[in-house]
Amino acid sequence: MLLGIETAAGLVGVALADAHRPVSGAWLLGDRRHAEALAPAIDHVLSQAGATLADVDTIAVDVGPGLFTGLRVGVATAQGLAEGLGIGIVEVTSVEVLAREAYGCGWEGPVAAVVDARRGEVFVARCAGPGARVETPSRCSPSALAEELASAPGTLVVGTGATRYAAVFADAGLEVAGIAEPSPRVLVEIAAGRLATGAAPVPPAAVRPVYLREADARINWVQR
Amino acid sequence: MNVLGIETSCDETAAAVVAEGRLVRSSVVSSQIDLHARFGGVVPEIAGRAHVELLMPAVAEAMARAGIERPDAVAVTYGPGLVGSLLVGLSAAKGLAMAWRVPFVGVNHLEGHLFAPVIEEPGLPWPLVVLLVSGGHTLLVEAAAPGRYRLLGQTIDDAAGEAFDKVARYLGLGYPGGPAIDRVAREGDASAFSFPRAMLGEGYDFSFSGLKTSVVRTVERHPSASTPDVAAAFQEAVVDVLLTKAARAVRAVGAKGLCLGGGVAANSLLRRRAPEAVDVPTYLPSMAMCTDNAAMVAAAGTFRLAHDGPSPLSLAADPNLFLDFSEDFSEPEA
Ligand SMILES: [Zn+2]
Repeated sequence: MLLGIETAAGLVGVALADAHRPVSGAWLLGDRRHAEALAPAIDHVLSQAGATLADVDTIAVDVGPGLFTGLRVGVATAQGLAEGLGIGIVEVTSVEVLAREAYGCGWEGPVAAVVDARRGEVFVARCAGPGARVETPSRCSPSALAEELASAPGTLVVGTGATRYAAVFADAGLEVAGIAEPSPRVLVEIAAGRLATGAAPVPPAAVRPVYLREADARINWVQR
Repeated sequence: MNVLGIETSCDETAAAVVAEGRLVRSSVVSSQIDLHARFGGVVPEIAGRAHVELLMPAVAEAMARAGIERPDAVAVTYGPGLVGSLLVGLSAAKGLAMAWRVPFVGVNHLEGHLFAPVIEEPGLPWPLVVLLVSGGHTLLVEAAAPGRYRLLGQTIDDAAGEAFDKVARYLGLGYPGGPAIDRVAREGDASAFSFPRAMLGEGYDFSFSGLKTSVVRTVERHPSASTPDVAAAFQEAVVDVLLTKAARAVRAVGAKGLCLGGGVAANSLLRRRAPEAVDVPTYLPSMAMCTDNAAMVAAAGTFRLAHDGPSPLSLAADPNLFLDFSEDFSEPEA
């Protein structure tokens, strides 16, 4: 079975899938307490499905872009699980999950998956249509993105960045969907699909969050 | 019983396997000093990123060197420290413990340091006074027995190691400051300048923030002052304050020994002076046990597991975690 871990945004998500489809899932309000919620959520999802970690042969994890601390909680947990189980990890990006969510709802046009990057910026990746490749994510300002997208009307804007800056995108004449958080069920669907087409999972130590921003070089002199 | 310890509270990524609470089967420390050196201090976001990259290789190496496939428990530091760093070790430790189906136990990093002498000195005489000095902590602790501690005093501003880092940076000696100052101070005359000994006569708390200011003013006033002389006088002032208070604490609580711990315990002047400062035995940990490591976490975790049982999987990181003083102690005389 495939265990998916989603901590790239505000929610903590866990889903379990067999070879083809999600069989159990939980989505809880992380409220920036991802590290407390995640491990018990994994236990819960497994027991809901009548499974144990011994049944899990691959871990899927959202590697971002997203909120750095949440990403590290998800990636480190996935690494610990995979290392202990002696299995590999499938890395899925938050923007891939968001784009697939939009197409899962029946949308057929272009999608911009927009993740809140804080400090007045967003991470974005576009996808031309269902089944098309989701582009490599990048970082920009919401207004610059809105301006760019407005030149190619008919793009659906989704993600935590889309809902946070809904007014900016709406003012540019863009349609903002109510899809904010990447879903753990969609995450495991993507990972299962990738495994089905022969992609190999990576070893736990090789997994890296996608930050897309240089580390803030501020020294912490307090409470080290 | 083999316990895997994990430590990621600051800028060392460490994993170790300890048997029976004190036999170190393996201890791996991946230092990030090179990553932080050009900033002259630990950068939290850089530390958090580095832990994600370094932890799994450290765990795999610790397990391989110990020659085990699966430990009997996983112990991890959950505070105090940098929250973004703590979360990496904590999350990975939970994952590993769940995968191996073994108990998971959270360890107070400060209690970890108190177990460093337990690992290295089988016949420790209790009660002890422990002087824990590093870039992050400056504590004077009475340890009546393993698990029974009372905080006697701590820094009210900068940690001692932080003072070393800041002064070294000001003097252009590089990072980390402790070894840099230790090195140049050997060629200096400590009596060339007299820096203030803050709060020397009062209680067991420390203050080091004024010392850096005093060093800066002195250098401004004496632009031709020799750097080794300034470094030596600064180091002398820090060591003098630390040991004066430690010796007073040893007398006040009737301790049978004085232990040093933390990165500053690697300072050569402090190590030389400590035995002269008290008339009880002094226990100076090896360099590897002074600095942050996971063997001390595994040892403390073994004790906590036997004492309190496993921690819940919902355990949160606590960047401001304090030592727990549940035991009743009478007030020591200052
Ligand atoms: Zn420490």
